[in-house]
Amino acid sequence: MTRSVTTRIRESEAGPEGLNAFITVVEESDVPTDLPDGPLQGVPVAVKDNIATLGLPTTCGSRLLEHYRSPFEATAVRKLREAGAVIVGKTNLDEFAMGSSTENSAFGPARNPHDRTRVTGGSSGGSAAAVAAGYVPMALGSETGGSVRQPAAFCGVAGLKPTYGRVSRYGLVAFASSMDQIGTFGRTVADAARLLEVIAGHDPLDATSIDRPAPDLTGALDRGVDGLVVGVPSEYLPDSLDPGIRERVDRALARLEREGAELREVSLPHSRFAIPTYYVIAPAEASSNLSRFDGVRYGVRTEGDDIGDMVEATRTHGFGTEVQRRIMLGTYALSAGYYEQYYGRAQRARGRIVQDFRDVFGTGVDALFTPTTPTTAFPLGEWLDDPVQMYLSDVFTVTANLAGIPGMSVPIGTLEGLPVGGQILAPWWREETAVAIGSVLESTLTEEVR
Amino acid sequence: MSVKREEVLRIAKLARLRLDEDELERMTGDLNSILEHVDALGSLEGDGEIAGTAFEEGPSTRDEEASDGERGLDPSVVAPAWRDGFYLVPPPPGVHAEGDGS
Repeated sequence: MTRSVTTRIRESEAGPEGLNAFITVVEESDVPTDLPDGPLQGVPVAVKDNIATLGLPTTCGSRLLEHYRSPFEATAVRKLREAGAVIVGKTNLDEFAMGSSTENSAFGPARNPHDRTRVTGGSSGGSAAAVAAGYVPMALGSETGGSVRQPAAFCGVAGLKPTYGRVSRYGLVAFASSMDQIGTFGRTVADAARLLEVIAGHDPLDATSIDRPAPDLTGALDRGVDGLVVGVPSEYLPDSLDPGIRERVDRALARLEREGAELREVSLPHSRFAIPTYYVIAPAEASSNLSRFDGVRYGVRTEGDDIGDMVEATRTHGFGTEVQRRIMLGTYALSAGYYEQYYGRAQRARGRIVQDFRDVFGTGVDALFTPTTPTTAFPLGEWLDDPVQMYLSDVFTVTANLAGIPGMSVPIGTLEGLPVGGQILAPWWREETAVAIGSVLESTLTEEVR
Repeated sequence: MSVKREEVLRIAKLARLRLDEDELERMTGDLNSILEHVDALGSLEGDGEIAGTAFEEGPSTRDEEASDGERGLDPSVVAPAWRDGFYLVPPPPGVHAEGDGS
């Protein structure tokens, strides 16, 4: 059955309605037939192309890694194969996962299946589109600032970002290592949860993976929300929020209350520093992580007159505009004379953001509910020349990455035919709370999300 | 604060990137608009705690044993060229490959 899936993806993507969701689709003849008897036996799964896979290129959406094949496989992918899943292809993304629209891919932008003139969100836009289009029931993405939840919201699917340390980062190409984490997409909350259960767990190959028991996420699907305290942070519902999105958030909150949850207004006062903090720390880490791409150890080399010239030429021709912008920003923030002004302040602001969450969860709040994004999917090209506006589309998601807490986006309705996502943020290691709330919203908002 | 073109050129040199005149103009404008937004961090009051890990567990370390990691296959299979356990890469400019008498 999975053999025909890869053929169907190829045919659909080659046609006029193609989404450019995949960079590589597995050849039908390469689909294994003797699959392990595991929880995902025979299930087709797509993998974001910044996660290393044996036998398939891992391009990171970059010309610089166009022909790169990894000699090792990401732990998350190994676990998928051991669970019987079939990797059907590698999905499109913003180059090195830097972006919020999947327009920064060297392989062209991905298109939103709900409206092909609009973005998928990003950076895991290809994975979100592949699930939304029905190519696959589940897919892997990665998050550094919302790159699973934001495209999940734009494409109308479930997206789950686990606690930092829940899933091994071994084989995930590094962007900002203190925030990078593999996450899951599902056609349903149950699919996203099942996929996370399979890939979660301690891995000695990643010193930041934590040795904790795997969460019982499928058990949480039917838990309900009776007795849960759901906090509603006022900073995530500003007066400037689109009234259509506000109305759908209010309706979702009313459903949770009707199902037995207690709603409580809360405050996360340092949220206003989230975007400035993120756009110092993430580029700073990226400028260091991406220094390895020099035309010697990795990547397509562009020749030069001497070694320095060759390295500069390789990086200049190999990296796209947004990646260069972030490397420049990160290099500036870390350079002599500016380190304290930018990186030092950002680190302290991050500490305050973490403390905000500790304070709120310490008062008996089980989870928070917010919109995932301030807008629905925007038109292709609209914000490409306005980096600040593009960065602001992550305003509700980056705090979870800065603090390391789990977050989930679930469809809560549509606005002018485009999906609207609701975000559930849970305390560290409490993914099951997010799944329980997401499952209730999914089952009670069925009519609204169609 | 405003970043000048000369400063952007200095940063590009540090970042091993090359900017032509148009790119320099655009990058200077982009960095200034981003930094204007980032300058909001200046209103953060007090010193505050610097974020370490967000949770109490420390990093988990491997046993102190030499290892090549856990590879799925012999790297020589995917290496463009391979000899004696090493990747062979094209020599950088000005460096001659072994056996290359030129």
